[in-house]
Amino acid sequence: MKTMIKLNPLTTKKLRRFRSIKRGYWSFIFLVLLYSLSLLGELFVNKRALIVSYQGEFFFPTYGEQISGKFFGFDYEYETNYRDLQKKFEKENSNDWLLMPIVPFGPYEMDYAKESSTGFSPPSFSSGHFCGTDKTERDVFARLLYGFRIAMTFSLGYLLLTYLIAICAGSIMGYFGGRTDMLGLRLVEIWANVPFLYMVIILVSVMPSWWGTGWQVSSLLLIMVLFSWTGMTYYIRAAVYKEKARDYVSAAKVIGASSARIIFRHLLPNVISTLVTFAPFTIAAAVSSITALDFLGYGLPPPTPSWGELLKQGVNNLRIAPWIVISSVSILVLTLTLVTFVGEAVREAFDPKKFSTYE
Amino acid sequence: MNNMKINKIYYTAFLFVSLLFFNGCEDHQLKPPRESGSEPSRQTGESGLPVDREFARELARELGREFARELSRQLNEGNSSIQLDSVFSANSVQIDRDPGSLVDMDGRPHPLLAHCSEDVLEFYQSHADCFAIKSLQEIPAGLNWKDGLGEEEFSSPDAKRGGTWNVFMRDFPRTLRTIGPDANGAFRSYLSDYNALSLVMSHPNSDGYYPGLASSWAVADDRKTVYFRLDPDARYSDGKAVRSSDFFFLFYYMRSKHIQAPWYNDFFGKDKFLKVTLFDSHTFSITYYKAKPDVVERVSLRPVPEHFYGELDGEYLNKYQWLPEPTTGPYVATPENIDKGKSVTLVRQNDWWADQKKFYRYRFNPDKIKVSVVRDYNKAFEIFLKGEIDMFGLAKTEFWYEKLTDKNLLVKNGYLSKVTFFNQTPPPSYALRINSQKAPLDNQNIRIGFHHAMNFKLVLEKIFRGDYVRMNTVADGYGARSHPTLQARTFSVEKAVEHFAKAGYLKRGPDGILVNKKGERLSVEIVTGYKHFEDVLVVLKEEAKKAGLEIKLKILESTAAWKTAGEKNHQVIFSAFNSFVELFPRYWEPFHSDNAYQQDGDTKYRKDGRLKDNLVIKTSTNNFTQTAVREIDHLINQYREEESLERITELSHQLSEMIHEHGVWVPAWKKPWLRIGHWNWIKFPQDWGPKETRDYEEFQVFWIDQSEKKTILKAKLAGEVLSDQPTVRIYDKYQSN
Repeated sequence: MKTMIKLNPLTTKKLRRFRSIKRGYWSFIFLVLLYSLSLLGELFVNKRALIVSYQGEFFFPTYGEQISGKFFGFDYEYETNYRDLQKKFEKENSNDWLLMPIVPFGPYEMDYAKESSTGFSPPSFSSGHFCGTDKTERDVFARLLYGFRIAMTFSLGYLLLTYLIAICAGSIMGYFGGRTDMLGLRLVEIWANVPFLYMVIILVSVMPSWWGTGWQVSSLLLIMVLFSWTGMTYYIRAAVYKEKARDYVSAAKVIGASSARIIFRHLLPNVISTLVTFAPFTIAAAVSSITALDFLGYGLPPPTPSWGELLKQGVNNLRIAPWIVISSVSILVLTLTLVTFVGEAVREAFDPKKFSTYE
Repeated sequence: MNNMKINKIYYTAFLFVSLLFFNGCEDHQLKPPRESGSEPSRQTGESGLPVDREFARELARELGREFARELSRQLNEGNSSIQLDSVFSANSVQIDRDPGSLVDMDGRPHPLLAHCSEDVLEFYQSHADCFAIKSLQEIPAGLNWKDGLGEEEFSSPDAKRGGTWNVFMRDFPRTLRTIGPDANGAFRSYLSDYNALSLVMSHPNSDGYYPGLASSWAVADDRKTVYFRLDPDARYSDGKAVRSSDFFFLFYYMRSKHIQAPWYNDFFGKDKFLKVTLFDSHTFSITYYKAKPDVVERVSLRPVPEHFYGELDGEYLNKYQWLPEPTTGPYVATPENIDKGKSVTLVRQNDWWADQKKFYRYRFNPDKIKVSVVRDYNKAFEIFLKGEIDMFGLAKTEFWYEKLTDKNLLVKNGYLSKVTFFNQTPPPSYALRINSQKAPLDNQNIRIGFHHAMNFKLVLEKIFRGDYVRMNTVADGYGARSHPTLQARTFSVEKAVEHFAKAGYLKRGPDGILVNKKGERLSVEIVTGYKHFEDVLVVLKEEAKKAGLEIKLKILESTAAWKTAGEKNHQVIFSAFNSFVELFPRYWEPFHSDNAYQQDGDTKYRKDGRLKDNLVIKTSTNNFTQTAVREIDHLINQYREEESLERITELSHQLSEMIHEHGVWVPAWKKPWLRIGHWNWIKFPQDWGPKETRDYEEFQVFWIDQSEKKTILKAKLAGEVLSDQPTVRIYDKYQSN
């Protein structure tokens, strides 16, 4: 399929057109960059040191097992506090050194180091909290970054899964038509009327406790997908209906191609443009809905870093800690704007009025 | 002859039944009234002819009465071959069997009950073992009558009457009944709890009592029966005197199906209140089922005005939905002062009967209480800052420290006060309740390790800014009954790790969480329904990692959380129960094995005291810890039976210790104070309030200085400074530690 897309001159044309729309193109590059950076977030925003040189040996704690405090000469067995370790090295004036990430705080970590800190420390460069802290002294920047990572991964997963289901269902209805179509459409209509939010609330509350956070997040994703794939099917169905009447489909049939082959090899590449134009908006919708769910308290299990949770804290403490709302709203608006720019550009690039196959 | 009599009886019975049937015909949904004496009749619809029905009913009753009399007369004549007892026993017409003294031979009621309706009388008669009338001579001689007048007054003689006290409620009350469906709302306290008087009131500054409706009282030698003499002045707000028979009626009312309040049906059940005896219109006694040291408090009830209700039927809920019952308290709600959906204004009676009596003369000072609906808490706070609400609770940290700081002009200029009042009362029981039956928490070492892994010190210091203190036992705040020295286990990584090691969790995994030989991680889930305490749990979770314990948080809607705990599906639940001001704590509900498993008493245990296999869990009880320990059971049984206060105290300490040892209850925190903000035209006594004040509205010892209100409002407009210091006050007279 990949080779087909590459070979398809129309697609290359569309891609070239997309690249020429500067705003969308750069937004896309920026988003991809941001997401890749967030995937490597541990290297930039982390409570663990990047490199520790201790007694002539090098350690790279970022991705490995946690190192007990005793190992570095503290009196505790739990994980080393590398900021303390840094101070200790400086104090002892030894040859040991370590390198901390730019933001030396983790998303879960409460920075109660200062006697006076009781939550909601304002942004400051000297403390290292660029965006301030939240109610339990967690770094807002760290939570925003990891929240971005989770929200984007979640949205991409959401996109893939909803499209997968929608493509299958839509093309079956569109290709076979007739009774299959009618029955399928009715089922989709019924399914689409199941109240989504209530289902999420109910299902989240009965999620088994022994599942880990990863499982809980994935199951939340599955629940959301389960109740929102229906919207896309209509478009796919219509597109397939249209394409199916074309000669090349009849030709393929005459040659003796199977239905599956015709759908996935012949029809899909031709209806993909419909999908692609919707994709960025689906991502935007997914980001907003996971944020909204978190805001309402039905989303990711606490204390998973999330924008919705930050927004809620911010709104509740608008006067006391305006930096939470400011930073979380800014990043939310920024992300959604970027995604929308990409979406606009894609839509324009794929506009059939410009590249119609009827010519 | 015999046949004729039987025929006559059958004929009358037929007439009786057909009348009942006829009566029920007009509405198919209606059931014949009181056929079995226990069936609650449905509420009637709008159709039907109420007058006719009432008439038919009266007629049926009259005939029934006639019939019963005739029957009893004939039976008395010696025709014992007629065995019709069973037919009528259900009808509870047992006039002849045990006439007692409630009704004479002719069915005429005792003069004290002359006003009672047929239905009410029938009820008394059918429960003749609970209701009795005796003569004044039968009151035992040598009773130690008390009148409580020696107790000190807890209000201030400086108090002035007058003014309107403005308060808010979150939602408009759904009814003005104080009993029955929807009646248990926040507004109820204005009608009942903080207003109506009961027989005897427990003194909020001492262990003694002061008079309420009863001017004197005496505990009998059996220490179960308490004699009361009603204050001859005691009257309801409609001017009718309080009669001793209202305490008969109280039980008719509370045990009635028509009030649709199973909790009250049960609370006022036969098994708790054994007997009420009337001696004259002002003297009576109530017998409680057990000789508890605080028996006076337990039987100090509020009367129900019989003249107002007459009798109850299926119409009860509809009829009294918006018709408040006459009260013995100072404030009256009348239908014309209800602005539906917006506010209810309670007006003080001009000639309240207790107006000038000791303990009441300086209380209940405002002329009116206007309770307005403000649905949003933050909005209510803004209205308070505008001066349209007089007082506002400031217990929440953010309100006290951030939203109304000492630098706020209202406080700084002396218009508004911030008050901390230290009180002494059983706190709500905030705690982590460990389900001792779920692995790995079925191991005592894990539980104790869990205790040591909970860093409540940090929570108190950082989240509550040192305002709250740690709760130490399962029963804090019960005076001498609370354990004097027992301390909650403190956060200690070493001790936690040591106990976890004893349970086999020796090694730390790659993420720092302890692992046992089988490779199982030490992971525990905490469920809670308190979204607003998420930050507390997050701190506990992060700190527990240090001890190698992973905590998973599950924050649910509160009903879902209670359901999880009720089904005993949780590992640990963070929750709290409200405590009442009582003399001694309750252990049976939360810690007795009968509330953990369905098997009874000691049948749960093997000989060596271990639990048997295949026990069936009992759901929907408050034993969230699933505590089932034979020794604790036995102690609780003893505790419940015990009648001497000294022994109860001893047992209570012992139980606190054993539960501490068992390690199923991690006490969290308590607030040793009340914190409120109030406008400075509200004046308080020197000590602010009595020791056991739980709510600033509770004892109503404050008053409104109306001239000062004008001054303050004027000064506020002009920006004038009324005080050189911010008006922030602390009353620490009752601070315990």
